[in-house]
Amino acid sequence: MSSFWRGGLVGGIGVVVGLPLLVQVIWSFAFRWYFPDLLPSEWGLHAWRYVFSDSSRVGEALLTSLGIGLAVSLLSIGIGLPAARALALHDFPGKGLVEWLLLVPIVVPGVVATMGVHLVFIHLRIADSSLGVVLVHLIPAVPYMILVMASVFANYDTALEETARTLGADAVRTFWFVTLPAILPGLLVATLFTFLISWSQYVTTLLIGGGRVITLSMLLFPLIGGSNNATAAAISLVFVAPALLALGVTARSLANGPSVLGGLGRP
Amino acid sequence: MAAVVLQHLTRRFGNVVAVNDLSLEIAAGEMVALLGPSGCGKSTTLRMIAGLLPPTAGDIRFGDRSVLAVPAEQRGAVLVFQKHLLFPHMTVGENVGFGLRMRGLRQKEIHVRVQEMLELVRLPGFEKRRAHELSGGQQQRVALARGLVVRPAVLLLDEPLANLDANLRLEMRELIRSLQQALKMTAIFVTHDQEEAVMLADRIALLFDGVLQQFDRPRALYECPRSVQVARFFRNENVLRGRKEGERFVCGESHLVVGGAKEHPDGEYLLTVRPEEVRISDSQVENSLWARVRAAVYMGTHTQLLLEVEGQQWRVHGPADGCYPAGSGLWIHLPPQRIWLLPPAV
Amino acid sequence: MGRQDWMERLKIWLMLLPALLVLVGLFSGGLVVGLGQSLGYMPVAGLHSVTLQHYLDLLVEDAFWQSLWVTFSIAFTSTLLSTLVAVPCAFLLRDTFRGSRLVNFLFQVPIPIPHLVVAFGVVTLVAQSGVLARLLASLGLLSEPGQFPALVFDRAGVAIQLVYLWKEIPFIGLVVLAVLQTVGPDYEALAQTLGATRWQRFRYVLLPLILPAILSASMIVFAFVFASYEIPLLLGVRFPAPLPVWSIQLYRDPDLNLRPGAMAIGVLLTLFSILWLVAYRRLMRYALRASGGR
Repeated sequence: MSSFWRGGLVGGIGVVVGLPLLVQVIWSFAFRWYFPDLLPSEWGLHAWRYVFSDSSRVGEALLTSLGIGLAVSLLSIGIGLPAARALALHDFPGKGLVEWLLLVPIVVPGVVATMGVHLVFIHLRIADSSLGVVLVHLIPAVPYMILVMASVFANYDTALEETARTLGADAVRTFWFVTLPAILPGLLVATLFTFLISWSQYVTTLLIGGGRVITLSMLLFPLIGGSNNATAAAISLVFVAPALLALGVTARSLANGPSVLGGLGRP
Repeated sequence: MAAVVLQHLTRRFGNVVAVNDLSLEIAAGEMVALLGPSGCGKSTTLRMIAGLLPPTAGDIRFGDRSVLAVPAEQRGAVLVFQKHLLFPHMTVGENVGFGLRMRGLRQKEIHVRVQEMLELVRLPGFEKRRAHELSGGQQQRVALARGLVVRPAVLLLDEPLANLDANLRLEMRELIRSLQQALKMTAIFVTHDQEEAVMLADRIALLFDGVLQQFDRPRALYECPRSVQVARFFRNENVLRGRKEGERFVCGESHLVVGGAKEHPDGEYLLTVRPEEVRISDSQVENSLWARVRAAVYMGTHTQLLLEVEGQQWRVHGPADGCYPAGSGLWIHLPPQRIWLLPPAV
Repeated sequence: MGRQDWMERLKIWLMLLPALLVLVGLFSGGLVVGLGQSLGYMPVAGLHSVTLQHYLDLLVEDAFWQSLWVTFSIAFTSTLLSTLVAVPCAFLLRDTFRGSRLVNFLFQVPIPIPHLVVAFGVVTLVAQSGVLARLLASLGLLSEPGQFPALVFDRAGVAIQLVYLWKEIPFIGLVVLAVLQTVGPDYEALAQTLGATRWQRFRYVLLPLILPAILSASMIVFAFVFASYEIPLLLGVRFPAPLPVWSIQLYRDPDLNLRPGAMAIGVLLTLFSILWLVAYRRLMRYALRASGGR
């Protein structure tokens, strides 16, 4: 391929990927931007001022999103890590069924499950609460954690742990000094993306939170396609920030293999 | 006529010269080993012959025809990789028949030739098996069959035995050798194992850092190395610096008779004798040197002796049943016909 | 079986237990409760009889079939288009060239970006007064927004497709790229020395090796789009709405009598997506065999 085409490829991908994000940055600083102006005729910080004010509830929603996301990712580690290890390193009767049960939420729609869970949560009085939202976010988060970490454990040699045990390390120290460092890069990426799964949820939060649990996506959703593009853009940029941060951390591991995509492409 | 001719073949990667001005003529039906330590440019040479890598300079000829302009798929030089690389999505039969299928042969003929070839590599009836059901040795045999079945102009083998365990390696060596001779196939294989090269090859091309050191029969590389480096690669570290005067080699106080001395003019030389040619004796006999034992290791068939000879370290094979305490002295006899003179090292 | 073996078994099941509790409890449990409600079985509300009425009501309604068709066509189109673009992209990204690291990075950017953000970006670009329309206006090609084609809230769902393409092309592309990198260049080199031309190397060596990855990645994309709610609600027409939108709107209605219907739609959606998965697996096996694998 000639360098001309390569240049075109780089530029083309840059524009296609960058434009939808760049236009939001411009909008967030626009005060007046009417058709057919290519750039705002007046710039301003009013959208950002609004975002940082109490009346926008962005600060509050940010904390809620963060808290729910952290809880979901930590719980996913605790729940998903042992299961991933069991699936990757052991054979046992019924493994096929267990695998199917644990991974089926990835391909089967969660609509019915979410609505069904909602009824039960109402009964248990945890509907409309952050706890309920955290629990329902586990449905997409845990299978993802299991998928990614199972592919990490599949390339993991337990002889390392056995060596540590023969050298006098107990189970806790073995995990802390041997297992954890070995799986840490994969675990970090899986945790970040599990956080992002929770962070990006809309419909599950809407159904279980019942409008009481206000996350950032709850604030952003009604503004999209509305009349106040500047405010929508500013909130959208706050909403996208952790994703961009995660990208900086995980770009290498994304490039290095399928682990973040959960080993989905194994032939 | 030579089947494969390399003329001044050179390949650079950036500033690194991987293969430097390599010229070889390989006869039809001959099995040649490209031998050398890893990174010496032997695999690069193989890839250039296969057509997978264009040379920076020089020419490659099959017969009297330059093949530089011929793409790999039409060159007829089949490369068998170190990793067997069986296509995982195909059966054994489909793997072996792959090259024939690419040539558009009819299913019937492919089937017949695949069966023939599987029999030759001693895997009859394996057609329907899948690659992952086979052992490592079997996989390598299928890979070999897949290369041979297209009757290549030259068969290229890149460390074909490297991934096999010791027993399988022996078996494969014999199989490769017998197939190559039965099919009168011109073959070039790459290896870093001098023993393997000696046992398999008609001739060995020894490469260091992309430069050809010596291209000769295996025996010649052992007995008549061209340089100290070549001798050392074939596990001969025994050298003495001295002068040749007439029939004699003078080193300090010692005078040694050298067989075939007339071939060399008088002057400075390095004398060398292979470890297994040196004889241990209790007393001073003709053509012997005094040596001090530094260490002795029992090797089963012989004892490996580390000696100090005229201030140099020598390795010598002594009888297995001898007793050689460290620090003791002994005489070593160098048979005149086994002494080889090298140009003084630079 | 010895004591040790039992202990080992027990340990494995203990490791699986939390995940099984959460996922079977929440997902499968929710599914069962939802199924019960779709059949009119709501012990909480004192309804214990079971009826298929809610399903029958749906199946005789034209709106349901239209909605199903919309759901399917959005998912099918976006899966097909993303796959067709993603596979060549993966091949381009496999080579190293000047700027290839940058392209690789750019290609990954969409992976973590939330769909809502993408939806907003697409709206501001392709709406009738969006940036593209302004660009055309500045070139003198149009003078008012109405002359720009309606790509948002349109029947063809162009904006919806753009959001999905932007998100899913990199996903499929990276999965395929990862497999291409695992396969490495040696199989192709080998096939080449055995006489395979460029086309034959693609057709008989690479394609069969990457096909499982293409199929499983595209299957996941299809399942995701088939069940998603936000994007068609934000960017699509109100009627006929895709099944997930319809189901959730009904469920959120203050009239609780609509809930069994909402559940029935959801259950049918789930059924169709499982049916599709099964059909897809069949297709996958057939495609693998046809491409030279087994």
